[in-house]
Amino acid sequence: MTSITADSPATRPRKPQTWPRTLVVAGIVVALTVWAGIAVKADLGDLIRNGQNAAGTLIQLVQPDYSFIVETLPAVLETVQMAVIGTAISITIALPVSFLASRATNPNGVVFGIVRFIMNVVRSIPDLLYAAIFVTVVGTGALSGIMALVMFNLGIMVKLISEALDGLDRGGQEAALASGATWFKANKAAMLSEVAPSYISQTIYVLELNIRASAVIGLVGAGGLGMLIDKVRTFYQYHYLSTVILEILVLVIALELLSSYARKKLVR
Amino acid sequence: MERNRVNNAERTGASIRFNDVGVTYPNGYTGLRDVNLSIEPGEMVAIVGLSGAGKSTLIRAINGLVPITDGQITVGDVELRGLSGRRLRQLRSEVGMVFQSFNLAKRTSVINNVLMGRLHHTAAWRTLLGAWSKDDVELAMQALERVEIVQKAYANASELSGGQQQRVAIARALAQKPRVILADEPTASLDPPTSHVVMRDLQQINAELGITVVVNLHFLDLARRYGQRLIGLRGGEVVYDGPGSEADESVFESIYGRSLTAEDVLDARPVVP
Repeated sequence: MTSITADSPATRPRKPQTWPRTLVVAGIVVALTVWAGIAVKADLGDLIRNGQNAAGTLIQLVQPDYSFIVETLPAVLETVQMAVIGTAISITIALPVSFLASRATNPNGVVFGIVRFIMNVVRSIPDLLYAAIFVTVVGTGALSGIMALVMFNLGIMVKLISEALDGLDRGGQEAALASGATWFKANKAAMLSEVAPSYISQTIYVLELNIRASAVIGLVGAGGLGMLIDKVRTFYQYHYLSTVILEILVLVIALELLSSYARKKLVR
Repeated sequence: MERNRVNNAERTGASIRFNDVGVTYPNGYTGLRDVNLSIEPGEMVAIVGLSGAGKSTLIRAINGLVPITDGQITVGDVELRGLSGRRLRQLRSEVGMVFQSFNLAKRTSVINNVLMGRLHHTAAWRTLLGAWSKDDVELAMQALERVEIVQKAYANASELSGGQQQRVAIARALAQKPRVILADEPTASLDPPTSHVVMRDLQQINAELGITVVVNLHFLDLARRYGQRLIGLRGGEVVYDGPGSEADESVFESIYGRSLTAEDVLDARPVVP
């Protein structure tokens, strides 16, 4: 058998030693965790001392009352409706804003900077806070929930779509600009079709996110399943609570199946 | 009725004049230095030189994609220096461009890509709705017929081979009804037979429509075969300007700084006896 090596092989490099660095990084992570735990006074003892109280709650939680489902249906419907409407409004606004928020599609540095700054502010406010604000503005119910979802979605959508635009091949745009098109026309003709798959995929993602979020924002009165959760929790009806949690689980799984199917179909 | 819009150009090609043109990039790199050229209407000019010799800079200066920092370029009767906004777009609409990497929007149809050549003349609301005028669609179809790829009009651009994509790009430039076509290494991403198809398309457009064609080529044999006139660039300066047939071994040495090798030609046979 002939050897596969060359006649005069170059000296092989020694395998680099990486374990000291790994050890140091792991040490820092552990130290930070312990320090954070002490700083916020997390006491594992509490878990054991309050275990007695938890037992009753847990027993109720693992015995969901399925007869309660009928009563929850209007809230389930409202949650889905809020998610759909919130998604529809936010993706419509997000598309043009994304083109302003990407360097690849907006040559005007000032407008770009202003839009980026506003979107950073929008994104830094959590969904629950939006819900709380809109509940005080327009009152409890689905409307405040939809408004909160729209703001929450805008931050996410604009970030994701403008980043998708940044990463696109800009050849078509360059050609359109070279033929005397304005940036607006070049973006519409050469960039919109290219970003469409990401746009559709992120829309589905945001819809999925909204189903989960609309359960949370209801806690402060912004409609949907969250309001129901708040009600049963207040009256310690944990067997009802677990029913609602199961419903959210089913909704989310159903949507996930739907979205992965749709993504496969749409984004080829 | 509009049948002859592409086939008989309403205007002939435009002249291109370079007067002491210099390009210095913001990072201090000199792209072009003291370039003086006079390209006549309807000429077909090939520009050769090594990578970094300034071929791309020269071509891109003609439609203002690269701003010049010295001298003046005149296309037709339009002076380019300092041109911006509406007037720059007006000039660009009369200058078609073909790129090395085709520069198509891949996820849209071939016809939509060709119609991009009509954007300058299309209202913003029509662009937004994709509501192209019938005349423009007809013009785009005729441009596709000229490069013999009209059967792919509604195919996605990404489904086409490299050579087909480049012909779509040529059709897009034609749809502008340009007076000048600039081609920046149009064959660099193509195999030899396809390169010849694309060059023949450009040659025919030049001969039949009278459009001035300026083409950057890496390969000398292509340049000599398709360029009536050959311009050699080296270090941002013009070192040869004359008929391709008169460019002998010593001329190539002045352009390339060394004698010709097999790597400088597309077809693996010597061009210079």
